[in-house]
Amino acid sequence: MIANFGIVLGEWRELATGFLNTIWLCALSGVLSLVLAVFVSMLLVSRRREARRMAQGVVDVLRAIPFLMLLFIVYYCLPAVNVRLSSWTCGLFALVVYNTAYFAEILRGAWTHLPPEQEEAGRAYGYVGLGLYRRIILPQIVIAASPVLGNQMITLVKNSAFLMVITIPDLTFMANQVQAIYFVPLETMLVAVALYWMICSTIEWTVRRMDRVALVRGHE
Amino acid sequence: MSDPRNPGGLVVEVRGLSKSFGRLRVLRGVNLKIAAGRTLCVLGPSGSGKSTLLRCINFLERPDEGAVFLRGERVGVHCTASGRERAMTDRELARIRTRFGMVFQQFNLWPHLTVLGNVVESPIHVQRRPRGEAVAEAEALLDKIGLSDKRDAYPSRLSGGQRQRVAIARALAMKPEVLLFDEPTSSLDPELVGEVLSVMRDLAREGQTMIVVTHEMGFAREAADEVMFIDEGAVVETAAPERFFGNPETPRVRQFLQRFT
Amino acid sequence: MVWNSLLSELAKGTLTTITVSLAGLAVGMLSGLALALVRAGAVPVASQAIAVYVSVVRATPMVTLALLIFFGLPAIGLGMSPLTAAILIISINTSVFQAEIWRASLQDFPQGQLYAAHAAGMSRALTFRRIVFPQVWRASLPALVNEMTLVIKGSPAVAVIGVVDLTRVAVRWTTQTYAPIPPFLTATAIYVVVVMCLIRVQRYTERRIVEKYGTL
Repeated sequence: MIANFGIVLGEWRELATGFLNTIWLCALSGVLSLVLAVFVSMLLVSRRREARRMAQGVVDVLRAIPFLMLLFIVYYCLPAVNVRLSSWTCGLFALVVYNTAYFAEILRGAWTHLPPEQEEAGRAYGYVGLGLYRRIILPQIVIAASPVLGNQMITLVKNSAFLMVITIPDLTFMANQVQAIYFVPLETMLVAVALYWMICSTIEWTVRRMDRVALVRGHE
Repeated sequence: MSDPRNPGGLVVEVRGLSKSFGRLRVLRGVNLKIAAGRTLCVLGPSGSGKSTLLRCINFLERPDEGAVFLRGERVGVHCTASGRERAMTDRELARIRTRFGMVFQQFNLWPHLTVLGNVVESPIHVQRRPRGEAVAEAEALLDKIGLSDKRDAYPSRLSGGQRQRVAIARALAMKPEVLLFDEPTSSLDPELVGEVLSVMRDLAREGQTMIVVTHEMGFAREAADEVMFIDEGAVVETAAPERFFGNPETPRVRQFLQRFT
Repeated sequence: MVWNSLLSELAKGTLTTITVSLAGLAVGMLSGLALALVRAGAVPVASQAIAVYVSVVRATPMVTLALLIFFGLPAIGLGMSPLTAAILIISINTSVFQAEIWRASLQDFPQGQLYAAHAAGMSRALTFRRIVFPQVWRASLPALVNEMTLVIKGSPAVAVIGVVDLTRVAVRWTTQTYAPIPPFLTATAIYVVVVMCLIRVQRYTERRIVEKYGTL
């Protein structure tokens, strides 16, 4: 067993590539999803019924299907309508679309829990529309929802492993390559698990720091 | 220079304001006038509609009937050139609201901003004043209310009285034409009421135009230029404080004051 | 493109998905309960070990876990069929989340009732069986149904080890007929229907429990 771990660590370059690819993919899609989710969440609480219903419908469907399904839909169905994307773009696109739906729903939930007096004070001081959202409402709901947002980031990282099935060289793909070539499946995958654990623990640590911020800058 | 739309030089005028919530009539044909530099206190039992009246003035609630004027300009309703009326959009309302300074019963400071941040937030981002100027003025205001040392603290760390004083500074920072106070001391512990009333008294003395909805009789007696009594949505009596507290006309007012003497 | 054939394939895939998910859930629920009980019992070494185990498995993607179980275990002599592996993978993954759900309910359990049972001469095992468990499983029900939804959404991971679940059926049909829209559209609809039903069941159980027992 120890010898096998030696073999795995000998292939550290492959694993490092996969590790960095995973981090890069997750960070990029996390940021994009959050930004898009801000706009989608505004639709979800919009006073225009049609816009709100349509947005909620799309979000509900996206949250009801497995991520792998969405990934395959992007990968197989888009070419049928003449949209040809590289695997990387497919993977990134699927991650962003899927997580935007979840982040938007989380922000919407946090919004309904925000005391209405906050929005009222904003309006009394001349805020309206996007400005009201960006400067008064959004900071407060992000602070309030940071634990749930953090959990969703962890889910995003775990979903990113599915990208291996369309041959994107993420951590799981590279680990699989190594274990298949050198016949050390147990040790390689254990190392991969340890690396995922490191990524998720970092996210959890960040969330705990945010929690401390929330104590000071959040609503009681 | 007299404004032809506003010959009396009134800052705020309310005519025939009525508002219902469902089947409950909260305001019935209320009239109100306040000239520059004057302080008007609005008194009345709970549920009489005083808070609703205040919130209709800056259109946080839309009245069902009646008109509100700020220095002769109609609030909440836009009169087109052809003479037709339409309700103001949210954007137009937002612009007018910057000319009111509102202080809430629950303070409603923004918890994610520091004390200084709360005070400069709207001047910078809504009124688009330069940051340097806004910060300098905010610091002067904080100094005036005695909270300079708290400029970088977050609201969660302040007492109720301190928070309300910051809220007053926030309202003043807008350089409003009139200050609207909605029961500013009702949520405070008794020991903290004094510090807030003291700030409000100073403001009244300096000539700020103020409409104060309150239960604090002492403040009304000392600082108000005029006292208005509202009961069940209608104005019962309006008088100078000496007359109101010393020799009220209506029996209803007399009955109300008896509970406080 | 033959609809009947597609629908029957999809039906088989759906059956596989649901069977594997339910089996994994059942095993996961029991092992999750066991994990929670050991932690609640504050057994010295085991509690810490379980805490670490839970933390690690919660951070592990389903696909990675699938590869670890299906390819890694045979290396130490534990070979198994893809189907068995699928159930094992799902149950390991869900057991740690179940453990957290059970742990939350057990922690919130009012001490007073335990004192009363002890005073009435009930042993710990009997107390658990007749007093604690009947209440705790009802309190956990909404969270458990929610976990069921998550299991269904994670189940396609078993496609990478060769189990022909609903997702894999859709992919196979696409690669054979070059017509991706029908199978994926239908498969999506099936997932949506299943998940929406589960969500409805969850809301219903929440309501019934509050009605019958007050907030538990």
